[in-house]
Amino acid sequence: MNSHHPDTLTLMEFSAGNLTEPHALCIRLHLDQCADCRSRVDTLDSLGAVMMENQPQTEMSSGMFDSILSKIDSDDTDAEREVSTAAKAGKRASALQKLLGDDLNGLPWKRQLGDVSVLDISDRFPGQNEQVVLQKLVAGGKAPSHTHRGEETTIVLQGAFADQKGVFNQWDFVVLNQEDNHRPVAVGCEDCITLSVLSAPVKLTGTFSRMLNPFIR
Amino acid sequence: MTTLDSKPARAEGRKDPWSQLLEKVGKHQDREAYHALFQHFGPQIKYYAMANGLASHAEELVQEVFVSIWRRSCLYDWKKAAASTWIFTIARNQRIDMLRKMQRTSAEMPVETEDLWQIPGEYENEPVTSLHRLMSERRVRDSLKHLPEEQITVIAKVYMESKSHQMVADELGIPLGTVKSRVRLALNKLKVILQDQNV
Repeated sequence: MNSHHPDTLTLMEFSAGNLTEPHALCIRLHLDQCADCRSRVDTLDSLGAVMMENQPQTEMSSGMFDSILSKIDSDDTDAEREVSTAAKAGKRASALQKLLGDDLNGLPWKRQLGDVSVLDISDRFPGQNEQVVLQKLVAGGKAPSHTHRGEETTIVLQGAFADQKGVFNQWDFVVLNQEDNHRPVAVGCEDCITLSVLSAPVKLTGTFSRMLNPFIR
Repeated sequence: MTTLDSKPARAEGRKDPWSQLLEKVGKHQDREAYHALFQHFGPQIKYYAMANGLASHAEELVQEVFVSIWRRSCLYDWKKAAASTWIFTIARNQRIDMLRKMQRTSAEMPVETEDLWQIPGEYENEPVTSLHRLMSERRVRDSLKHLPEEQITVIAKVYMESKSHQMVADELGIPLGTVKSRVRLALNKLKVILQDQNV
Protein backbone atom coordinates (compact mmCIF):
# COMPACT_ATOMS: atom_id res chain seq x y z
CA MET A 1 0.00 0.00 0.00
CA ASN A 2 1.52 3.28 -1.06
CA SER A 3 1.25 6.44 0.98
CA HIS A 4 2.52 8.99 -1.55
CA HIS A 5 0.34 9.38 -4.63
CA PRO A 6 0.20 11.61 -7.69
CA ASP A 7 -2.01 14.66 -7.29
CA THR A 8 -5.46 14.26 -8.88
CA LEU A 9 -4.74 17.14 -11.26
CA THR A 10 -1.70 15.27 -12.53
CA LEU A 11 -3.79 12.12 -12.96
CA MET A 12 -6.21 14.22 -14.99
CA GLU A 13 -3.42 15.43 -17.27
CA PHE A 14 -2.37 11.81 -17.63
CA SER A 15 -5.91 10.71 -18.48
CA ALA A 16 -6.21 13.53 -21.03
CA GLY A 17 -2.97 12.28 -22.61
CA ASN A 18 -1.17 15.56 -22.00
CA LEU A 19 1.89 14.41 -20.09
CA THR A 20 5.28 13.89 -21.67
CA GLU A 21 6.44 10.28 -22.01
CA PRO A 22 8.82 10.36 -19.02
CA HIS A 23 6.12 11.86 -16.80
CA ALA A 24 3.56 9.38 -18.07
CA LEU A 25 6.04 6.60 -17.27
CA CYS A 26 6.25 7.73 -13.62
CA ILE A 27 2.46 7.72 -13.41
CA ARG A 28 2.17 4.34 -15.17
CA LEU A 29 4.61 2.69 -12.77
CA HIS A 30 2.64 4.00 -9.82
CA LEU A 31 -0.73 3.00 -11.32
CA ASP A 32 0.47 -0.53 -11.93
CA GLN A 33 0.77 -0.93 -8.16
CA CYS A 34 -1.94 1.37 -6.84
CA ALA A 35 -5.59 0.34 -7.15
CA ASP A 36 -6.86 3.60 -5.64
CA CYS A 37 -5.17 5.75 -8.27
CA ARG A 38 -6.24 3.32 -11.02
CA SER A 39 -9.80 3.77 -9.93
CA ARG A 40 -9.41 7.54 -10.04
CA VAL A 41 -7.98 7.31 -13.55
CA ASP A 42 -10.97 5.16 -14.57
CA THR A 43 -13.31 7.94 -13.48
CA LEU A 44 -11.17 10.53 -15.25
CA ASP A 45 -11.20 8.46 -18.44
CA SER A 46 -14.99 8.47 -18.19
CA LEU A 47 -14.85 12.24 -17.84
CA GLY A 48 -12.86 12.32 -21.09
CA ALA A 49 -15.53 10.18 -22.79
CA VAL A 50 -18.33 12.47 -21.62
CA MET A 51 -16.41 15.60 -22.69
CA MET A 52 -15.90 14.06 -26.13
CA GLU A 53 -19.60 13.33 -26.37
CA ASN A 54 -20.55 16.92 -25.46
CA GLN A 55 -18.67 18.56 -28.33
CA PRO A 56 -20.26 20.02 -31.47
CA GLN A 57 -21.15 17.57 -34.22
CA THR A 58 -18.97 17.19 -37.28
CA GLU A 59 -19.78 15.76 -40.68
CA MET A 60 -18.01 12.69 -41.99
CA SER A 61 -16.97 12.34 -45.62
CA SER A 62 -19.16 9.98 -47.54
CA GLY A 63 -17.50 6.68 -48.27
CA MET A 64 -15.44 6.86 -45.12
CA PHE A 65 -17.09 3.86 -43.50
CA ASP A 66 -16.53 1.82 -46.67
CA SER A 67 -12.86 2.64 -46.66
CA ILE A 68 -12.65 1.50 -43.02
CA LEU A 69 -14.37 -1.75 -43.98
CA SER A 70 -11.96 -2.37 -46.81
CA LYS A 71 -9.09 -1.73 -44.44
CA ILE A 72 -10.29 -4.28 -41.90
CA ASP A 73 -10.98 -6.77 -44.68
CA SER A 74 -7.41 -6.54 -45.87
CA ASP A 75 -6.09 -7.03 -42.34
CA ASP A 76 -3.58 -9.70 -41.64
CA THR A 77 -5.68 -11.95 -39.43
CA ASP A 78 -2.67 -13.72 -37.94
CA ALA A 79 -1.11 -10.50 -36.74
CA GLU A 80 -4.47 -9.53 -35.37
CA ARG A 81 -4.85 -12.72 -33.41
CA GLU A 82 -1.32 -12.46 -32.12
CA VAL A 83 -1.96 -9.04 -30.64
CA SER A 84 -5.08 -10.12 -28.83
CA THR A 85 -3.77 -13.41 -27.45
CA ALA A 86 -0.59 -11.80 -26.19
CA ALA A 87 -2.70 -9.15 -24.51
CA LYS A 88 -5.03 -11.71 -23.00
CA ALA A 89 -2.18 -13.71 -21.59
CA GLY A 90 -0.76 -10.51 -20.11
CA LYS A 91 2.57 -11.36 -21.66
CA ARG A 92 3.64 -7.85 -22.48
CA ALA A 93 6.80 -6.74 -20.77
CA SER A 94 6.26 -3.75 -18.53
CA ALA A 95 7.47 -0.35 -19.66
CA LEU A 96 10.22 -0.55 -17.08
CA GLN A 97 11.49 -3.93 -18.30
CA LYS A 98 11.50 -2.66 -21.87
CA LEU A 99 13.54 0.36 -20.87
CA LEU A 100 15.92 -1.09 -18.33
CA GLY A 101 15.74 -4.89 -18.42
CA ASP A 102 15.24 -7.00 -15.34
CA ASP A 103 18.29 -6.12 -13.29
CA LEU A 104 18.26 -2.57 -11.99
CA ASN A 105 21.31 -3.14 -9.82
CA GLY A 106 23.35 -4.38 -12.79
CA LEU A 107 22.93 -1.23 -14.88
CA PRO A 108 26.06 0.76 -15.84
CA TRP A 109 25.79 3.08 -12.84
CA LYS A 110 28.11 6.05 -12.61
CA ARG A 111 29.40 6.67 -9.11
CA GLN A 112 28.96 10.24 -7.99
CA LEU A 113 29.54 11.36 -4.43
CA GLY A 114 30.10 8.65 -1.82
CA ASP A 115 26.79 6.90 -1.50
CA VAL A 116 25.20 8.12 -4.72
CA SER A 117 25.28 6.66 -8.25
CA VAL A 118 23.40 7.99 -11.24
CA LEU A 119 22.47 6.92 -14.74
CA ASP A 120 21.09 9.36 -17.27
CA ILE A 121 18.50 7.63 -19.47
CA SER A 122 17.20 10.74 -21.28
CA ASP A 123 18.28 9.24 -24.61
CA ARG A 124 15.67 6.47 -24.23
CA PHE A 125 13.04 9.13 -24.83
CA PRO A 126 13.92 10.51 -28.25
CA GLY A 127 12.49 13.92 -29.00
CA GLN A 128 11.87 14.82 -25.33
CA ASN A 129 13.48 17.81 -23.68
CA GLU A 130 13.38 16.65 -20.11
CA GLN A 131 16.20 15.02 -18.30
CA VAL A 132 15.40 11.52 -17.09
CA VAL A 133 17.75 10.17 -14.44
CA LEU A 134 18.01 7.02 -12.39
CA GLN A 135 19.61 7.46 -9.00
CA LYS A 136 20.88 4.93 -6.54
CA LEU A 137 21.59 5.55 -2.89
CA VAL A 138 23.32 2.66 -1.13
CA ALA A 139 21.43 1.10 1.75
CA GLY A 140 21.86 3.32 4.81
CA GLY A 141 23.58 5.96 2.68
CA LYS A 142 22.96 9.70 2.76
CA ALA A 143 22.66 12.07 -0.16
CA PRO A 144 24.03 15.59 0.09
CA SER A 145 21.57 18.29 1.03
CA HIS A 146 20.07 19.97 -2.01
CA THR A 147 17.19 21.97 -3.29
CA HIS A 148 15.56 21.99 -6.73
CA ARG A 149 15.54 24.71 -9.34
CA GLY A 150 12.61 23.41 -11.31
CA GLU A 151 10.13 20.68 -10.70
CA GLU A 152 11.25 17.15 -10.21
CA THR A 153 8.96 14.13 -10.42
CA THR A 154 10.27 11.00 -8.74
CA ILE A 155 9.10 7.43 -8.37
CA VAL A 156 10.81 4.89 -6.13
CA LEU A 157 11.71 1.76 -8.11
CA GLN A 158 13.44 -0.19 -5.37
CA GLY A 159 14.04 0.13 -1.63
CA ALA A 160 13.01 3.24 0.24
CA PHE A 161 14.31 6.65 1.24
CA ALA A 162 13.38 9.07 3.97
CA ASP A 163 13.63 12.82 4.33
CA GLN A 164 11.95 15.51 6.44
CA LYS A 165 8.64 14.81 4.70
CA GLY A 166 8.47 11.14 5.49
CA VAL A 167 9.38 7.71 4.20
CA PHE A 168 9.04 6.98 0.49
CA ASN A 169 8.64 3.31 -0.32
CA GLN A 170 8.71 1.37 -3.57
CA TRP A 171 6.25 2.83 -6.12
CA ASP A 172 5.66 5.97 -4.05
CA PHE A 173 5.37 9.09 -6.15
CA VAL A 174 6.69 12.50 -5.17
CA VAL A 175 7.07 15.90 -6.79
CA LEU A 176 9.74 18.26 -5.45
CA ASN A 177 10.26 21.90 -6.32
CA GLN A 178 12.18 25.03 -5.32
CA GLU A 179 10.79 25.01 -1.79
CA ASP A 180 12.05 21.55 -1.02
CA ASN A 181 15.50 21.42 0.47
CA HIS A 182 16.08 17.86 1.53
CA ARG A 183 18.71 15.37 2.50
CA PRO A 184 17.44 11.92 1.62
CA VAL A 185 18.64 8.82 3.43
CA ALA A 186 18.21 5.29 2.07
CA VAL A 187 16.34 3.23 4.64
CA GLY A 188 15.92 -0.53 4.83
CA CYS A 189 18.43 -3.14 3.75
CA GLU A 190 18.24 -2.56 0.00
CA ASP A 191 19.86 0.14 -2.10
CA CYS A 192 17.27 2.77 -2.96
CA ILE A 193 16.74 3.31 -6.70
CA THR A 194 14.60 6.15 -7.99
CA LEU A 195 13.56 7.40 -11.40
CA SER A 196 13.34 11.17 -11.72
CA VAL A 197 12.17 13.50 -14.44
CA LEU A 198 13.73 16.94 -14.12
CA SER A 199 12.53 20.15 -15.62
CA ALA A 200 15.66 22.04 -14.45
CA PRO A 201 18.93 21.17 -12.71
CA VAL A 202 19.16 20.78 -8.95
CA LYS A 203 20.86 23.44 -6.86
CA LEU A 204 23.14 22.25 -4.09
CA THR A 205 22.82 23.93 -0.72
CA GLY A 206 25.22 22.18 1.65
CA THR A 207 28.97 21.70 1.80
CA PHE A 208 28.90 19.86 -1.50
CA SER A 209 27.65 22.91 -3.34
CA ARG A 210 30.57 23.02 -5.75
CA MET A 211 30.10 19.47 -6.93
CA LEU A 212 27.76 18.48 -9.68
CA ASN A 213 25.22 15.72 -9.97
CA PRO A 214 24.61 14.33 -6.54
CA PHE A 215 21.51 12.33 -5.65
CA ILE A 216 19.37 14.15 -8.11
CA ARG A 217 20.96 16.67 -10.36
CA MET B 1 -16.04 -4.34 -2.77
CA THR B 2 -19.25 -5.04 -4.64
CA THR B 3 -18.84 -7.40 -7.53
CA LEU B 4 -21.38 -7.65 -10.28
CA ASP B 5 -20.79 -11.30 -10.85
CA SER B 6 -22.98 -12.19 -7.92
CA LYS B 7 -25.98 -10.46 -9.48
CA PRO B 8 -25.87 -11.16 -13.19
CA ALA B 9 -29.48 -10.18 -13.87
CA ARG B 10 -29.13 -6.73 -12.36
CA ALA B 11 -25.73 -6.27 -13.91
CA GLU B 12 -27.08 -6.93 -17.36
CA GLY B 13 -29.50 -4.06 -16.93
CA ARG B 14 -26.60 -1.66 -16.47
CA LYS B 15 -25.15 -2.30 -19.86
CA ASP B 16 -25.68 0.78 -22.00
CA PRO B 17 -26.66 0.42 -25.69
CA TRP B 18 -23.19 1.34 -27.00
CA SER B 19 -21.56 -1.28 -24.83
CA GLN B 20 -24.03 -3.85 -26.14
CA LEU B 21 -23.17 -2.91 -29.71
CA LEU B 22 -19.46 -3.05 -29.03
CA GLU B 23 -19.87 -6.47 -27.49
CA LYS B 24 -21.66 -7.65 -30.65
CA VAL B 25 -18.72 -6.46 -32.71
CA GLY B 26 -16.32 -8.31 -30.42
CA LYS B 27 -18.24 -11.56 -30.26
CA HIS B 28 -19.78 -11.83 -33.71
CA GLN B 29 -17.91 -9.33 -35.90
CA ASP B 30 -21.33 -7.70 -36.33
CA ARG B 31 -20.93 -5.04 -39.03
CA GLU B 32 -24.28 -3.42 -38.44
CA ALA B 33 -23.36 -2.80 -34.83
CA TYR B 34 -19.95 -1.55 -36.00
CA HIS B 35 -21.65 0.89 -38.35
CA ALA B 36 -23.90 2.18 -35.57
CA LEU B 37 -20.81 2.80 -33.42
CA PHE B 38 -19.16 4.60 -36.33
CA GLN B 39 -22.15 6.89 -36.79
CA HIS B 40 -22.21 7.79 -33.13
CA PHE B 41 -18.52 8.00 -32.24
CA GLY B 42 -16.99 8.85 -35.63
CA PRO B 43 -18.03 12.52 -35.57
CA GLN B 44 -16.94 12.85 -31.93
CA ILE B 45 -13.48 11.54 -32.73
CA LYS B 46 -13.23 13.78 -35.77
CA TYR B 47 -14.00 16.82 -33.63
CA TYR B 48 -11.49 15.61 -31.04
CA ALA B 49 -8.78 15.48 -33.73
CA MET B 50 -9.70 18.92 -35.04
CA ALA B 51 -9.73 20.49 -31.56
CA ASN B 52 -6.27 18.99 -31.07
CA GLY B 53 -4.85 20.77 -34.09
CA LEU B 54 -4.92 17.66 -36.27
CA ALA B 55 -7.44 19.12 -38.73
CA SER B 56 -5.67 17.80 -41.82
CA HIS B 57 -5.41 14.35 -40.25
CA ALA B 58 -8.83 14.27 -38.58
CA GLU B 59 -10.38 11.57 -40.76
CA GLU B 60 -7.16 9.60 -40.76
CA LEU B 61 -7.40 9.54 -36.96
CA VAL B 62 -11.04 8.42 -37.11
CA GLN B 63 -10.00 5.62 -39.45
CA GLU B 64 -7.11 4.52 -37.21
CA VAL B 65 -9.38 4.52 -34.17
CA PHE B 66 -12.06 2.44 -35.89
CA VAL B 67 -9.63 -0.11 -37.26
CA SER B 68 -8.26 -0.38 -33.74
CA ILE B 69 -11.78 -0.79 -32.31
CA TRP B 70 -12.41 -3.66 -34.74
CA ARG B 71 -9.15 -5.40 -33.89
CA ARG B 72 -9.51 -5.07 -30.15
CA SER B 73 -13.22 -5.53 -29.77
CA CYS B 74 -12.67 -9.18 -28.80
CA LEU B 75 -10.87 -7.90 -25.71
CA TYR B 76 -13.65 -5.51 -24.74
CA ASP B 77 -15.27 -6.35 -21.44
CA TRP B 78 -18.27 -4.23 -20.54
CA LYS B 79 -17.65 -4.97 -16.88
CA LYS B 80 -14.34 -3.12 -17.07
CA ALA B 81 -15.47 0.04 -18.86
CA ALA B 82 -18.41 1.56 -20.70
CA ALA B 83 -17.96 1.53 -24.48
CA SER B 84 -17.61 5.30 -24.65
CA THR B 85 -14.83 5.31 -22.05
CA TRP B 86 -13.06 2.46 -23.82
CA ILE B 87 -13.34 4.26 -27.16
CA PHE B 88 -12.13 7.54 -25.64
CA THR B 89 -8.95 5.84 -24.40
CA ILE B 90 -8.33 4.36 -27.86
CA ALA B 91 -8.85 7.77 -29.50
CA ARG B 92 -6.51 9.39 -26.98
CA ASN B 93 -3.82 6.77 -27.58
CA GLN B 94 -4.11 6.96 -31.36
CA ARG B 95 -3.78 10.75 -31.14
CA ILE B 96 -0.65 10.41 -28.99
CA ASP B 97 0.69 7.80 -31.41
CA MET B 98 0.05 9.99 -34.41
CA LEU B 99 1.88 12.92 -32.81
CA ARG B 100 4.77 10.70 -31.75
CA LYS B 101 5.14 9.40 -35.29
CA MET B 102 5.14 12.93 -36.68
CA GLN B 103 7.71 14.14 -34.17
CA ARG B 104 10.05 11.24 -33.85
CA THR B 105 13.50 11.60 -35.24
CA SER B 106 14.69 8.01 -34.97
CA ALA B 107 12.80 4.91 -35.99
CA GLU B 108 13.25 3.39 -32.56
CA MET B 109 10.54 3.97 -29.96
CA PRO B 110 11.64 1.91 -26.96
CA VAL B 111 8.41 2.55 -25.07
CA GLU B 112 5.14 2.20 -26.94
CA THR B 113 2.22 4.48 -26.27
CA GLU B 114 0.24 1.63 -24.78
CA ASP B 115 2.98 0.71 -22.36
CA LEU B 116 2.23 4.08 -20.78
CA TRP B 117 -1.44 4.74 -21.52
CA GLN B 118 -3.47 1.57 -21.21
CA ILE B 119 -6.88 0.65 -22.52
CA PRO B 120 -9.25 -0.33 -19.67
CA GLY B 121 -9.52 -4.07 -19.31
CA GLU B 122 -6.28 -4.91 -21.10
CA TYR B 123 -3.02 -5.96 -19.48
CA GLU B 124 -4.44 -5.74 -16.02
CA ASN B 125 -3.32 -7.74 -13.07
CA GLU B 126 -6.61 -7.20 -11.32
CA PRO B 127 -9.56 -9.43 -12.25
CA VAL B 128 -11.96 -7.71 -9.87
CA THR B 129 -14.88 -5.91 -11.40
CA SER B 130 -16.00 -3.08 -9.26
CA LEU B 131 -19.36 -1.44 -9.30
CA HIS B 132 -17.53 1.85 -9.00
CA ARG B 133 -15.96 1.36 -12.37
CA LEU B 134 -19.16 0.66 -14.13
CA MET B 135 -21.08 3.42 -12.48
CA SER B 136 -18.42 6.05 -12.88
CA GLU B 137 -19.45 7.09 -16.34
CA ARG B 138 -23.11 7.52 -15.50
CA ARG B 139 -22.20 9.46 -12.38
CA VAL B 140 -19.81 11.71 -14.28
CA ARG B 141 -22.43 12.42 -16.95
CA ASP B 142 -25.06 13.33 -14.35
CA SER B 143 -22.77 15.49 -12.22
CA LEU B 144 -21.38 17.33 -15.24
CA LYS B 145 -24.80 18.83 -15.91
CA HIS B 146 -24.61 20.72 -12.63
CA LEU B 147 -21.14 22.18 -13.05
CA PRO B 148 -20.73 25.91 -13.73
CA GLU B 149 -19.75 26.80 -17.28
CA GLU B 150 -16.34 28.17 -16.23
CA GLN B 151 -15.36 24.79 -14.81
CA ILE B 152 -16.53 22.90 -17.88
CA THR B 153 -14.60 25.28 -20.15
CA VAL B 154 -11.36 24.53 -18.33
CA ILE B 155 -11.93 20.76 -18.38
CA ALA B 156 -12.85 20.85 -22.07
CA LYS B 157 -9.57 22.57 -22.91
CA VAL B 158 -7.60 19.98 -20.97
CA TYR B 159 -9.40 16.99 -22.51
CA MET B 160 -10.34 18.15 -25.98
CA GLU B 161 -7.45 20.47 -26.81
CA SER B 162 -4.78 18.68 -24.77
CA LYS B 163 -3.74 21.87 -23.05
CA SER B 164 -1.77 21.87 -19.82
CA HIS B 165 -3.23 23.80 -16.89
CA GLN B 166 -0.63 26.50 -17.55
CA MET B 167 -1.64 26.80 -21.21
CA VAL B 168 -5.30 27.09 -20.23
CA ALA B 169 -4.40 29.85 -17.75
CA ASP B 170 -2.45 31.76 -20.42
CA GLU B 171 -5.24 31.41 -22.95
CA LEU B 172 -8.00 32.54 -20.61
CA GLY B 173 -5.82 35.24 -19.07
CA ILE B 174 -6.38 33.97 -15.53
CA PRO B 175 -3.86 32.83 -12.89
CA LEU B 176 -2.72 29.20 -12.87
CA GLY B 177 -4.11 28.90 -9.33
CA THR B 178 -7.57 29.83 -10.57
CA VAL B 179 -7.44 27.16 -13.27
CA LYS B 180 -6.35 24.58 -10.73
CA SER B 181 -9.05 25.54 -8.26
CA ARG B 182 -11.73 25.33 -10.96
CA VAL B 183 -10.53 21.87 -11.88
CA ARG B 184 -10.39 20.82 -8.24
CA LEU B 185 -13.93 22.07 -7.61
CA ALA B 186 -15.16 20.21 -10.65
CA LEU B 187 -13.36 16.97 -9.77
CA ASN B 188 -14.73 17.27 -6.26
CA LYS B 189 -18.25 17.33 -7.59
CA LEU B 190 -17.45 14.44 -9.89
CA LYS B 191 -16.27 12.56 -6.79
CA VAL B 192 -12.81 11.98 -8.15
CA ILE B 193 -11.14 13.88 -5.35
CA LEU B 194 -13.39 12.58 -2.62
CA GLN B 195 -11.70 9.23 -2.95
CA ASP B 196 -8.41 10.81 -1.93
CA GLN B 197 -9.66 10.80 1.62
CA ASN B 198 -9.94 7.04 1.66
CA VAL B 199 -6.36 6.50 0.61
